[in-house]
Amino acid sequence: MGQPSRLDLLQGTLDLLILRTLQSGQALHGWAISERIQQISEDVLRVNQGSLYPALHRLEHQGWIKAEWGVSELGRRARFYRLTASGRKQLEVETLNWARLTGAIGRVLEMA
Amino acid sequence: MSWNDLLLRLRALAFRKRVERELDEELQFHLEMERRKNAAAGVSDTEAAGLARVQFGGVEQAKEECRDARGLFWIDTILQDVRYALRGFRRTPAFALTVVATIALGLGLNTTLFTIFNAYVLRPVAVRDPYSLYSFYWINKAGEGARLTWREFEDFRKQNSAFSEVMGHHFLFARVEGHPLEGQFVTGNYFRMLGVLPALGRTLLPGDDAAPGSEPVIVLSYAAWQRKFGGEAEIVGKKLIIHGYPLTVVGIAKEGFSGLGDTPHDFWAPMSMAGQVEDGPSLFGPEQPRRIDIVGRLKPELSARQATAALTTWARQMTANRPESERATGADLQSQATAVPLTAEVLLFFSPIMAAFGLVLLIACANVAGMMLARAMARQREIGIRLSLGASRPRLIRQLLTEGVLLALPAAAAGFALSQATIQYGERLMFATMPADFAEFITVIPLPPDARVFGFMLAASVVSAVLFGLAPAIQATRTNVMQAARGDFSSDFRPARLRNALVAGQITMCALLLICAGVLLRGARRLANFDVGLKTTGVVEIEIQDKFRARILERLASEPLVQTVAAAQSPPLDGTLPTVPVVAGEGANAVGAWYNLVSPEYFPVLQVPILRGRNFTRDEAAAGAPVAIISLATARLFWGNREAVGQSIHMVRDPRHPAQSRVLRHESVRVIGVARDVVSCCAIQGLDKTCIYLPTTPAEGGDALLVRVHGDGELARRKLDAELATINPGAIDQIHLMGQMRAAGVYPFQAASWVCGGIGALALLLTLSGIYGVLSYLVTQRTKEIGIRVALGASTESVTFLVLRQSMRLAGFGIALGSVLALGVSRIFASVFVTMNMFDGPAYGAGVLLVIAASAAAAYFPSRRAARIDPITTLRYD
Repeated sequence: MGQPSRLDLLQGTLDLLILRTLQSGQALHGWAISERIQQISEDVLRVNQGSLYPALHRLEHQGWIKAEWGVSELGRRARFYRLTASGRKQLEVETLNWARLTGAIGRVLEMA
Repeated sequence: MSWNDLLLRLRALAFRKRVERELDEELQFHLEMERRKNAAAGVSDTEAAGLARVQFGGVEQAKEECRDARGLFWIDTILQDVRYALRGFRRTPAFALTVVATIALGLGLNTTLFTIFNAYVLRPVAVRDPYSLYSFYWINKAGEGARLTWREFEDFRKQNSAFSEVMGHHFLFARVEGHPLEGQFVTGNYFRMLGVLPALGRTLLPGDDAAPGSEPVIVLSYAAWQRKFGGEAEIVGKKLIIHGYPLTVVGIAKEGFSGLGDTPHDFWAPMSMAGQVEDGPSLFGPEQPRRIDIVGRLKPELSARQATAALTTWARQMTANRPESERATGADLQSQATAVPLTAEVLLFFSPIMAAFGLVLLIACANVAGMMLARAMARQREIGIRLSLGASRPRLIRQLLTEGVLLALPAAAAGFALSQATIQYGERLMFATMPADFAEFITVIPLPPDARVFGFMLAASVVSAVLFGLAPAIQATRTNVMQAARGDFSSDFRPARLRNALVAGQITMCALLLICAGVLLRGARRLANFDVGLKTTGVVEIEIQDKFRARILERLASEPLVQTVAAAQSPPLDGTLPTVPVVAGEGANAVGAWYNLVSPEYFPVLQVPILRGRNFTRDEAAAGAPVAIISLATARLFWGNREAVGQSIHMVRDPRHPAQSRVLRHESVRVIGVARDVVSCCAIQGLDKTCIYLPTTPAEGGDALLVRVHGDGELARRKLDAELATINPGAIDQIHLMGQMRAAGVYPFQAASWVCGGIGALALLLTLSGIYGVLSYLVTQRTKEIGIRVALGASTESVTFLVLRQSMRLAGFGIALGSVLALGVSRIFASVFVTMNMFDGPAYGAGVLLVIAASAAAAYFPSRRAARIDPITTLRYD
């Protein structure tokens, strides 16, 4: 175990990360989203790829992201996801919630 | 569920394959990217792909989760249920057909009634903004409404503060080219105010009734033009003779418009022509008859209540200087939006009929519920297994309800077809069976189905699906999983008292209807054969326009076909006879007595013998002398066994009787004769209880002529009609054989007995299916018990009897209750119609026998099934 251990994502945080990844406005396909999350977290966060796609489909049904077929860097057809206006709002809400949650946990840890 | 979600779900449903392919492609792309990444990191080609798959986890599992993210769509579930139900119906087509037919009967009956109700009470008339139209009367202290005189109408038009526009109309009957027409005089703004356009030519314009006597024109309704004038385009410009006065047809009103109110109108003429066309005092003359009905368009800012208040004030001021009995105390506004306004009284009138029809539907549903339950029980094993495999109870109930809806929809379609057929066939049958002379007088509002009828149909079918589907579904899925696991599938059903009560209830209804149909039918037959005491054969009744009276009498006198001409103010058997309060003898109280004015020829023409005293002389008749002939019953009522001839009768003046009434010409009259009792009003009321005959002559205005002719009556009637038309085509208002009047009086009772019999037959059918359903259920339920009985040596007969007894117990209860109710109903009939017999033995006997036979027949098949139960199979079952 020379490598630093990777953290599995908490239930529900995957949605938040996906929305955040798409915040730049750029349309990304599923693989790129998972790569981006791993890169930015410096390989600490590992996206369980089996749950990535169900999450994407769920978000699409909720209308927070929108999927379109486009051409990928390989020249193959790929499904690109983009943040919608309501997704942007949802992201704000969830970010705020996250901040409150982590803030609260942090305070509890310090006090105890 | 958001809109976006719904779209995506629908897409997944409609393009199932494509969505699957896309999902596959998306995941494959991911794996490919992963493989490349691995390869770039130096993993060998063969291992890179495998590693990518390992990193991904289960591809199929991910796919499944993606589908789950979408969720199982309710439409998927429904489609599944539908497919499942259809498979079931294919296995048992007889069951499905029985259910559909039963519900179709109930729905058809109710839709027929609703279509009629809709046409009269719900469908707005085809005019602009119908909901702002109101009729207006003022009401006096006695609660009577008053029409307006022309002068009052003119004042009202100027002064009223409630209506933005007002029009006047009054009814006019005319016989034109042999067709009876019902129409109206209307003010010139009628069509403009209602926004009704012409189909041909023009409608009436305000200029048409600018001054009394101006514009001799007429507009016909589309229906009258089609039915009575052959729909020819040349009708515009043609002159029609209305009451002897020629009016030029200027146009046809647009199709579908036949005036306001419940009687369809055939024509409209300008009010200004009333003076020329009508008999009696002119609308514009000094006498100012009260003839005008008012309809106004409510000002948009007013409610009907506010308008009533405003008009009450106006009417009170208007009538303040009049005698007290003529003073207005209130105003009555009625909406004219529909043929019959939707008021509490109308609802009260319709509600018992609707309740009865609704009950028929309820019974149909109960029967089907019984059948469904029997079926659900036969499927206990299947349901039990599904429950123990983890199907949720709501899911199973939903599935059974789906079956209900699937049965209800074709039933709705069949019921709709049935109601259309009933309406069309019924209308045709009515006209075909009606006495020919009267068929032309009857105009029926068209009864096309519209959105409201379809809506009703849909709602009724869904409600019935829930009614007959829900109870069995709930009961069938009540199965205990533990029991199902043990393999015990049948012991949890309770005997349903409610269902037994329903079957007994429908046997009651059925017995009631069939007995009433019998009583009515026999009553109608007795009515047709009832001796009215008048010799009507060979008598032609003619009602004429007074302006041609002298010439008509002259022509009749010289006509060889004519034997005698008599006159009567109220022709007998016409359905009405006026009353007058009289005092007979010293110190007696005033009694309302029927009276008629007749000429001396009346008694010989109708062959009514004068029993004592004498007939009127010609001089008495011509002078209107203070003498009277009374009927025997009247003589007995007033003077018992004492001699009536020579007594006198005092006429009481009554503010309700107009002063010009001819009966009040003398304060008292002397009785000169006593005539045999006859039926003067209508056969259903039997012989006159009272009748005072006062003298008149055929020359007197307003009296109907009763002409005894030689030879065949119908031939003579036609000949006279043609002959008198040469004086003026508009001279005759009506010309009938008196025998036809008689038949017309009997017809409603025949029709009522047919309708009652028809519904009774329907009830019988439903009862059959009801008993069958309950007993089938019972036999299935008691299969094990019967099996044991047979195994213990019960004979086939005793098993059959076991089932039959169940049926007979229900039938006995139903018949007893039904007969008692029938006694009550026929008592009401008998109190109104003398020829109805409350204790009509044959009618009761036939009704009861029919119901018993039906109950036995319905029990036959289930009892046979019970008798054939094989104990070995049954006992091995568990």
